[in-house]
Amino acid sequence: MKIKVAFLLMGVLLLSVSLQAQWVKVPPAKVPRTPDGKPNLTAPAPRLPDGKPDLSGIWYPDSKYIANVAVDLKGELPLQPWAKALFEQRKSGALSREEPTAHCLPQGVPRITAAPWPWKVVQMPGSIVIVHEAFSLWRQIYLDGRELAEDAPPTWLGYSTGRWDGDMLVVDTRGFNGKMWMDQLGTPTTEALHLIERFRRRDFGHIDIEITIDDPKAYTKPWTVKEQAALMLDTELMEAVCNENERDLEHLTK
Amino acid sequence: MKKLIAFSIVIIFTLCVALQAQWAKVPPAKIPRTPDGKPNLSATAPKLPDGKPDLSGIWQPLNNRYVQNIAADLRAEDVPYQPWAKALFDERKTGAHSKEDQPANCLPQGVPRIDAAPAPWKLVQTPGFIVVIYEAFNLWRQIFLDGREPATDAPPSWLGYSTGTWQGETLVVDTKSFNGKAWIDQLGRPSTEALHVIERFHRKDFGHLEIQITIDDPKAYTKPWTVTEQFRLLPDAELMEDICNENNRDLEHLPGSK
Repeated sequence: MKIKVAFLLMGVLLLSVSLQAQWVKVPPAKVPRTPDGKPNLTAPAPRLPDGKPDLSGIWYPDSKYIANVAVDLKGELPLQPWAKALFEQRKSGALSREEPTAHCLPQGVPRITAAPWPWKVVQMPGSIVIVHEAFSLWRQIYLDGRELAEDAPPTWLGYSTGRWDGDMLVVDTRGFNGKMWMDQLGTPTTEALHLIERFRRRDFGHIDIEITIDDPKAYTKPWTVKEQAALMLDTELMEAVCNENERDLEHLTK
Repeated sequence: MKKLIAFSIVIIFTLCVALQAQWAKVPPAKIPRTPDGKPNLSATAPKLPDGKPDLSGIWQPLNNRYVQNIAADLRAEDVPYQPWAKALFDERKTGAHSKEDQPANCLPQGVPRIDAAPAPWKLVQTPGFIVVIYEAFNLWRQIFLDGREPATDAPPSWLGYSTGTWQGETLVVDTKSFNGKAWIDQLGRPSTEALHVIERFHRKDFGHLEIQITIDDPKAYTKPWTVTEQFRLLPDAELMEDICNENNRDLEHLPGSK
């Protein structure tokens, strides 16, 4: 099993595009600097004119969570019996060909945040757009008080709304299609998934994301993991079109 | 041939997702209104604090003819093909190669075709850059306004590398470093990696955006040629998720070989 998982992980890493030179004459980034002129990534997090933390920037996750979202979790996942059976089967690698990203389907939320590709947060007063290098997908988070309609069509990335709890942005996401594998092991989800992400920009260069998975159809109780992402300076996202040159599928277990 | 083209248009429309109810309790859009409370789409275009026009909003092509035929408003002689490009185009427009058209394979439409794709797109304008998020295939594109330039060895791409400058009220966007694989429209007008697209965005009033598009691709065309497309603001809508790989049914129905 371990070999298969490692192989799958390799496939994903090969897919990801390296950060080659794309741009010249780029103006220097507006970042706090240490006395010797280097970026000071532990300076305080910036704020917008309205006093809210500014989460804008290009972020790169600790990608260990792409393989196993629960890698830091103490104890076992509170899986419902059917979900446990499915998860065991997926973990064996026997179902790798069903894994959505092998078909260039979206990683879904929260997996796309942990995918080994950077993502860029564009924060405005009423909404946030996150553009992901992964498969060149985007996601919006509304901050204007709207709520999800009950009959909203199910989606891979869900419908996200956010509110501020002090310096923490609390993002609720619902309206999922239930097809997502939350990680490469195949941690399951259903259309009942309600995801809560708490984004806190700890300092200039670091963001903490606490993620609660509340999916009563797949789990007996909500569970929470913590992920981190680091600011990337002096770079930009690239185009990553999965259909362009997809080579995973032919190598995955039939 | 006409049947094939009509068929491929039907497919594109089927692909785009209807604007169903996704959201409840949406605060009313901050837009100018007429005395009877309706959106006043012919009010003056908004400006940002720095005095530049604000192009932000959700835009949709006023009509869908340009995705099928970008030169719909031009005379045949206005598109100055290189001989090989003319031969290729004549072959493609018979419909016999529709299977090779990139969206049939869930590959990006490219710029400028994605502007004209029937699906709406949302423009988000910040001081240093613009992000355009497209409903079409859930793709995005950035337009940098900070003076940078694409590196000469930037990896070729479908959507290119875009930079913008203001000329009065018009945002002039240059896009280069294409991969040369895009059909500029469904008829199959070719492009090469020498393509340089110049889009001139002009928000004529609150509800209307005009984009003048110049195709400058000396490998495929003997001189640059220009078309003008119109877009309308969708004040009370939002984009939907559109995942082409989810349920692509085009390919099996299209003629040609991959």
